[in-house]
Amino acid sequence: MHIPDNYLSPSTCAVMAAAMVPVWAVSVKKVKKEISKAKMPQLGIFAALSFLMMMFNVPLFGGTTGHAVGGTLIAILMGPYSACISVSVALLVQALLFGDGGILSFGANCFNMAFVLPFVGYYIYKFIKERAHSKGGETAAIILGSYFGLVVASLCAAVEFGIQPLLFTDALGKPLYCPYGLAVSIPAMVIPHLAVAGPVEVLFTLLIVTFVKKVSPDMIDAAPAKKTNGIWGLILALICLTPLGLLASGTAWGEWSPEEISGLAGYTPKGMSGGLSYSALLPDYTVTGLPEAAGYVVSAMVGVAILVIVFKLLGTRGSGGPAEAK
Amino acid sequence: MTDVPSWLTQPENYSPPADNDRFIDKSILSFIGLISKIKQQSGLAGDALWVSPVFKLLFTILYVVLVSSSRHFTFVYLMLAYIIVVLAVMPARDIRRCLRGALIAAAFTYLILLPSALAGNRYSITMIPAKVFACVLAVNILSASTRWDHIIGALKRFFFPDLFIFVFDITIKYIVMLGEFALQMLYALKLRSVGKNRSKYGSIGGVGGTLFIKSRDMSEDMYYAMECRGFTGEYHAADKFGFTVYDGAYILLNGGFVWLFVYFQNLV
Repeated sequence: MHIPDNYLSPSTCAVMAAAMVPVWAVSVKKVKKEISKAKMPQLGIFAALSFLMMMFNVPLFGGTTGHAVGGTLIAILMGPYSACISVSVALLVQALLFGDGGILSFGANCFNMAFVLPFVGYYIYKFIKERAHSKGGETAAIILGSYFGLVVASLCAAVEFGIQPLLFTDALGKPLYCPYGLAVSIPAMVIPHLAVAGPVEVLFTLLIVTFVKKVSPDMIDAAPAKKTNGIWGLILALICLTPLGLLASGTAWGEWSPEEISGLAGYTPKGMSGGLSYSALLPDYTVTGLPEAAGYVVSAMVGVAILVIVFKLLGTRGSGGPAEAK
Repeated sequence: MTDVPSWLTQPENYSPPADNDRFIDKSILSFIGLISKIKQQSGLAGDALWVSPVFKLLFTILYVVLVSSSRHFTFVYLMLAYIIVVLAVMPARDIRRCLRGALIAAAFTYLILLPSALAGNRYSITMIPAKVFACVLAVNILSASTRWDHIIGALKRFFFPDLFIFVFDITIKYIVMLGEFALQMLYALKLRSVGKNRSKYGSIGGVGGTLFIKSRDMSEDMYYAMECRGFTGEYHAADKFGFTVYDGAYILLNGGFVWLFVYFQNLV
């Protein structure tokens, strides 16, 4: 699932990296709060562990083998925030030193494999585990968590590929980066993950978690049982869905401009031609002087940034001031 | 003197039933490959290609950005030419390693883009594999010609926090330490799996699980060792940075690339 450079446009890469900045910031803050300085070396050692987890080959049917990503595994063993940081560091080592996965696409790779994969996997695991207290319930939680964590991450990668021909074309309309649209990229990415990579991931996660539970049950990170905060889930969903907005290339029903109305109806309603023309900060999500696609992407970034600011302000109002971030 | 028991004198031909345990071999090979790659790095006497790692890292990222953004094939071709010239001054062993990764990436890209080319998209099939090749090659050259601790150290110049550099440094060291540990377990598994190994899944889970438990122990040990040496929770990465005449020439050269990029971008 490592996206190399040049499959995604530099601006997509910039947006994905920008989307990761608040995730990293929150993860570092959480990890610093939850783990003492005594555990600082742990971050590096766990990053090494997540790197090595990708080296294991799991036996499959007919003598074939496959290797797992282990994102959900890492999240179950040491919590999703630690997983986010250690998988990010492991990905940086791969991109910078092993030439595996692009440098520009580092943000996108982190988004898929260090953010979506462990968080989706972990929260599915946690959701099921909290409701089913039996041993079978926990096994089901591990299976579904690791399976859907990987599949959703591959779906995100597929969407990132698939929006390229929509957004970035030359003057003749020929795609500049990945030339396949969503109709091709989603099945091409998701079906192999559903059929092969998903089961490998499930097998690997299940085996290791079961082993660690049996040998040393107190090792599994007992994450504090507190209410799951839905806000970050909402932001995640919004960022994932932003590029999909471009699919709806037509104007939404009822949002016609006077020109479109005259095209549709044959005439412009009198009240509209002389009425107020409300111009937003970034009208129609385009920015003057920038191509439409880039304007859309900048708008998405501004939107995410504003959301983060609003939620941060809301978050500090109750606690009487922002926590000092070191 | 006692007689040799009769069962010892009988010839015995035991041939264990064949089993598919390629997963152990493949895991062993990937661990060995990884560890040898890192160890080769630390054997590097100094930085090849003269210039400071800070500039090498900065300009490698610049090449990736320029090549990815360019829409003019001539520019991509010129960059590729430059990168190949740099490759040519490296030792043969490094050349093989750098080229291998870049060729695999480019061939894979070519294969993926083939259906689109058959549908009439000529631009992607010529441009994107060339760009992928140039970018992967540039990163591989950086990685092969510079000691990794120097690359990590160079990150300080890019305002990376010290904590991050510390984590990154530990990661590399412990990939080797944990990797060697995993390798020993895999050897043990290989030696003890005579004939049919019916608990394949259990054994690979055991190796992975033990690795996790070991990593926890190691991080605890490391912290105690650090505390004994006076670690207070603050980590300062040393900043070794010197400017040479080679660096100056290198900057001029890269200024030229930026100019070329702008020139060709205006032609599109």
